[in-house]
Amino acid sequence: MMLARVAENLYWMARFLERAENTARLINSTTHVLLDLPEGATFGWVNLTEIAGMDDLFTQNYPKANEESIMRFLIEDASNPGSIFSCIQYARENTRTLREVLPAEMWERVNSLYLYVRDNAHIACSSRRERYMVLNEIIQQRHAIVGLFAGAMAHDVAYQLIKLGRNIERADMTTRILDLHSAIIFPDESVIQEALMERIWMSTLDSLSSYQSYRRLISMHVRSDAAISFLLQDMRFPRSVAFCLSEIESCFKQMPKSQQLQQLTTQLRHKIAQYVTDKLDAIALHEHLDLLQIELGEIHESLLQNYFHAWQADIQPVLQPSNEFAQQ
Amino acid sequence: MELASKEYATHTAYDELLDRELRPRTAALPLFDYLNSLNDGELATRQQAVDATIKAMGITFTIYSESGNIDRVWPFDPIPRVMARKEWEHIQAGLKQRLTALNMFINDLYNEQQIIKDGVLPAEILDSSTNFRPQCIGIKPRFGVWAHICGTDLVRDSNGTVYVLEDNLRVPSGVSYMLENRQIMKRIFPEVFRTTHILPVDDYPTQLYHTLAALSPRAGEQPVIAVLTPGIYNSAYFEHSYLAQQMGAFLVEGSDLLVDSDDIVYLKSITGLQRVDVIYRRIDDAFLDPEVFNPDSVLGVPGLMRAWRKGNVGIANAPGAGVADDKVVYTFVPQIIRYYLNEEPILANVPSYLCMYDDQREYVLANLDKLVVKPANESGGYGMLIGPRATHEEREKFAALIRENPRNYMAQPTLDISTAPTLVDGKLAPRHLDLRPFVLQSDKLYATTGGLTRVAMRQGSLVVNSSQGGGSKDTWIVEEGDL
Repeated sequence: MMLARVAENLYWMARFLERAENTARLINSTTHVLLDLPEGATFGWVNLTEIAGMDDLFTQNYPKANEESIMRFLIEDASNPGSIFSCIQYARENTRTLREVLPAEMWERVNSLYLYVRDNAHIACSSRRERYMVLNEIIQQRHAIVGLFAGAMAHDVAYQLIKLGRNIERADMTTRILDLHSAIIFPDESVIQEALMERIWMSTLDSLSSYQSYRRLISMHVRSDAAISFLLQDMRFPRSVAFCLSEIESCFKQMPKSQQLQQLTTQLRHKIAQYVTDKLDAIALHEHLDLLQIELGEIHESLLQNYFHAWQADIQPVLQPSNEFAQQ
Repeated sequence: MELASKEYATHTAYDELLDRELRPRTAALPLFDYLNSLNDGELATRQQAVDATIKAMGITFTIYSESGNIDRVWPFDPIPRVMARKEWEHIQAGLKQRLTALNMFINDLYNEQQIIKDGVLPAEILDSSTNFRPQCIGIKPRFGVWAHICGTDLVRDSNGTVYVLEDNLRVPSGVSYMLENRQIMKRIFPEVFRTTHILPVDDYPTQLYHTLAALSPRAGEQPVIAVLTPGIYNSAYFEHSYLAQQMGAFLVEGSDLLVDSDDIVYLKSITGLQRVDVIYRRIDDAFLDPEVFNPDSVLGVPGLMRAWRKGNVGIANAPGAGVADDKVVYTFVPQIIRYYLNEEPILANVPSYLCMYDDQREYVLANLDKLVVKPANESGGYGMLIGPRATHEEREKFAALIRENPRNYMAQPTLDISTAPTLVDGKLAPRHLDLRPFVLQSDKLYATTGGLTRVAMRQGSLVVNSSQGGGSKDTWIVEEGDL
């Protein structure tokens, strides 16, 4: 048995932690690929703000879009709810309300991650070298937290909710990163050199920690159709959308009253398996990804209704004192 | 004692660890052997480790201020306060005796009021009590117990006598710090636990669980227990969460609960509504149930009193238990013990003057510069006057307050409360302290082994409350035979 509020906080805690890590990865791999870009090639930093749909907020608050302002916005800006600092702060606030359901060390870990981000976020904004170190440390501390979940926590309903939050966020992020990178590449395909395109796809894979697996499992060459298929459909890679969906399915199987949620997830996974990626042009890919995000959103909404608001259905209807009124 | 600071040279208060010649008392001998075995600078290193540990463990309390709520780290002094087991057992017996009598007293006030009829307690005290809840009249909670969890504040005077300063019967806090302090000490000074027989303190959560479980209306079933907190911004939120975690109870806010039309309390779970059997509430009476008390409360649960009155849920402490947590009622506790138990009090009360009586009030007004004046119903060290340290204007102001509302004030001589060596700039300096043990009662009685030692971190200060800059120490009850 679990409180609806606690369940909701667990779910969001996991999403915020995952989002913070994904953002850190994305920045690191983007910084990396920049170093390799040929003279004259430009990269739109501002594209990074589009990932979480934060581009409007960014342009409102920052007059100039350059590497430094975007780093501030994505890493340390407390007024950006998607910044690494904000995500860790929300995760910490959630963890604080969850101490009685989490392993005792969890609060210490999340709290020290928060203290680290609070004290080092500004360093990460200033220089590329330090940025890599700080973001890497954030990623590593977050791994320790995931390790603690896996190894020190009963695999109960609380655990399933954390895993659900993590995988829904992860699947969503993979679609967003794919969408972003595809948007950069496809419109000018004829002009962009093949080598540069490959570089950027490598960065995409790298930001999802998948470059190594891709090379080992698929090919030494990074081709867009193969990369897209890998990130959407491959059942061996833990950040592919299909893999996340199968994790989500297995979580639902451990949860009470989850039949409908299981069906919804299985359907979506089957749909993805049927994509033919080598015939996708930029527009078709974008449409697929858009639909995918909407359908992930539906799973999220159904989960909210099914668990966090379930109690509303149980309230007994209050007997109206209609007789008294009749007598009057 | 090389470690002792110069402040000890002019010291007059009783020191818990050092005698008048600054020799360690018997119970503290192994501790000082250990401290003396540390190299120069080692103690400072350990102090730094303490600070880092506290920060990492996230042990905090919240202070309310104009610039928003600040999460402060609880100041912790690594030198423990040590007491011999024999002395402690005597105090423990006194604490149990006191709570037993207080519960009989509360139950009597809400039912027959025999103590008033017999002329032991003046009726006017009850009439003017702000913590008496008429809504609770006629209710008979299980075992006749209203205050299931009591935090009793003890101090020691310069002659070595231990006095009860206050009985906290509403929502006393601090027990989690007692437990965490021991954890910190074990992390930082593991060696000393091998050489000294220090009695463990960690059975408190289990005892609390049993105390609460005994209140369940559904006998024979595993009770569902909830700790009701005002939320994350409450100064004791850390403790609420800690205790829920240790007991495997649900930590709930008012909005997590609901009293349905069947007068049963439910919690909003992921699979629907689930019945709750016992609520350990950490919310004041006034906010508990907007149907009965403060109608504006958003912290409480509408209908909770209905459910309690019908016996559908156990509430600890029971609403209304605070009637005995009143500094004027306090002065009657020795009579209350004799009246209900026909026993002499084991623990002494601080001699007190009640401003409601003409002769005692005159004495208080004439001696404001020597007395501590306390309002009847404040806690946390707010609203009191420490006569010897107050300015003329402050004393005048209090004189007016007393004349205006004499029932609301009582006064006590300024005690030279005891000190213990506390680490200040690498030396051990005397700092004043008190002790808050926790006593539990439902079907059984239990008192903690030791309690929370609160220490005034500023030189000469007598105020130990965390909200007023106090800190804490680990409290060791040691087996003297082993030494």
